[in-house]
Amino acid sequence: MTSTAIRGVDVSSEASTPSVPLAARTRGLRKVYRQAVAVDQVDLDVPEGAVLGMLGPNGSGKTTTIRMLLGLVRPTAGEVELLGHRMPDGAGHALPDVGALVEGPGFHPFLSGRDNLFRMAAAEPRLSSAGISGAVEAALERVGLSGAAHRRYKGYSLGMKQRLGLASALLVPRRMVVLDEPTNGLDPAGTREIRKIIGELHADGVTVLVSSHLLAEVEATCTHVAVLHEGSVVAQGELAELLESGSPALLVSTPDSAEAVEALREQRITSKLTPEGVRVDLTATTPPDVFAILVRADVRLYEATRARTGLEDLFARLTEHEPSTVDGTEGAS
Amino acid sequence: MTQVLAPQPEIRTGHDTVPMSRLIRAELRWIFRRPRTLIVLAMLAVIPVVIGVGLTLVDTNAGGGSGGGPGDGGGALLATAVNNGFVLPIAALVMTLTLLLPLAAAMAGADAIAGETAHGTLRGWLLTPVSRGRLLAVKSFGVATVALVTVLSMAVTGVITGLIINGTDSLFTISGTTLSLWDALGRILIAVAWVTLQLWAVGAVALAISACTEHPMLVVVSVLAGNIVFQILGYLDAVSWLHPFLLNQNWTSALTEVLQDPMASAQLGEGALRAACYIAIALSLAYARLTTRDG
Repeated sequence: MTSTAIRGVDVSSEASTPSVPLAARTRGLRKVYRQAVAVDQVDLDVPEGAVLGMLGPNGSGKTTTIRMLLGLVRPTAGEVELLGHRMPDGAGHALPDVGALVEGPGFHPFLSGRDNLFRMAAAEPRLSSAGISGAVEAALERVGLSGAAHRRYKGYSLGMKQRLGLASALLVPRRMVVLDEPTNGLDPAGTREIRKIIGELHADGVTVLVSSHLLAEVEATCTHVAVLHEGSVVAQGELAELLESGSPALLVSTPDSAEAVEALREQRITSKLTPEGVRVDLTATTPPDVFAILVRADVRLYEATRARTGLEDLFARLTEHEPSTVDGTEGAS
Repeated sequence: MTQVLAPQPEIRTGHDTVPMSRLIRAELRWIFRRPRTLIVLAMLAVIPVVIGVGLTLVDTNAGGGSGGGPGDGGGALLATAVNNGFVLPIAALVMTLTLLLPLAAAMAGADAIAGETAHGTLRGWLLTPVSRGRLLAVKSFGVATVALVTVLSMAVTGVITGLIINGTDSLFTISGTTLSLWDALGRILIAVAWVTLQLWAVGAVALAISACTEHPMLVVVSVLAGNIVFQILGYLDAVSWLHPFLLNQNWTSALTEVLQDPMASAQLGEGALRAACYIAIALSLAYARLTTRDG
């Protein structure tokens, strides 16, 4: 559906007018802090209704991009559009429909979790004064904090703090929810709950932007992925497409594995034995040719499937052989 | 779970902004639930009581009047406050105005922006969103309220202490006349208003510094250091041209005008004007900084 562009790997349709309406987009985004370039030339598309996972190593510019997207930081260059409003000037119109958890939860230590949420809710334009109390309780319930809501924030565990941050992002039904490292400090059960909440939001048609350096988390929850590396987007698009766009391979399940590898090698096609079956590299050939070769060699077949590269492989490929272009030292120019 | 959160039409609004009164209410609730605010408030309110009790116990040669204090305005005023229910609350204000009251205002200003930034809570309101102009307005209102409540509570405990110790017939001016209770209260209110205005100026400066940093301690220290430097400059005749611009230039002497009969107003007026200028300039700087800074 959307353009899938991987720099240095696959230069496919660089469509400037995507067919799906975008909840957020950035063009040529750049942010320089003093001497260091934090983000450079970021063109990010967040399709409406998508769950977009923003991946990248620490310091790759994820949080800076999110902060610019939300109008907290004014970009050095480039433009940002959030729910159809130019940011940061249109923040007053865009942000009421956006729930956000950025750079960890921020709350007052001497207030209880509930009172902290009341303070946040008081500033929510979409909540009427009569609705505040109900919205606070519902949000606490949703993140599983009702039992601890009366306790002071000071005494909260890291996971509880994270949940309270999530609750404040979910105080009002949103059109878009932005979560910066939402599972930081959460135990596996907490991580699963966050995933469930993201799933529910997605089912309700809410656009979700999740940043994370945990690949499994992104692979499990996201429909779209954007990979950031050293301040630039090195790949973005639908998760499934991205995974397939790597080195294409065919997974052949056969009782005659050794013969299959032998037959393919004779035709100069790379393949190797894996626990799941014979993995055939498709860069120089196509599946029909592979089948033909195998059948002619009297190799018996159970089935053949398109092998999906793990997100981990893709990520490693994208973030490793890229030359260092964005660096603190070159900001002096 | 989702149906719990399903929007009920009457509680949802289509508004992009929240009524200002709601923000202010939330801000005041936050300020006056903070233990620090309450402790400072209570300690300052106790000071007039301590002064009153101390003067009564120590004062063996009653009626001595000119007790020969250390020579500065506060000390001289203290001597006057002996057996005088009218001077006591004002003397307490004058004495705390040199250090403690500005400290309270600086603390409120420091917590308002720098403290919130340090906790990451300012970002929360910016994201809901509260525009930065409204944020400054709410914060200024909060700091102003803290200043007013502090000064008022000191005046109340001061008046009550003075009346209990000295009775209602002890309301003498320093010109030697006696005031009626209502006259005295009126003048004390004038003093409260004037001191509050001075503190608003301090608070505005604190807010301006607060908008530039995320370390609340830095704000308090800067204001305190500025206060002391201004006092020193005030003593130096070499920089007398600078004196009209020092906020605390006539803090001790101006309030004695309230104690005279008839009441003078030249210094009070000048001080009020100076404070107003400080407020205008400091809030403009705070606004300029707050609107351009990264949240």
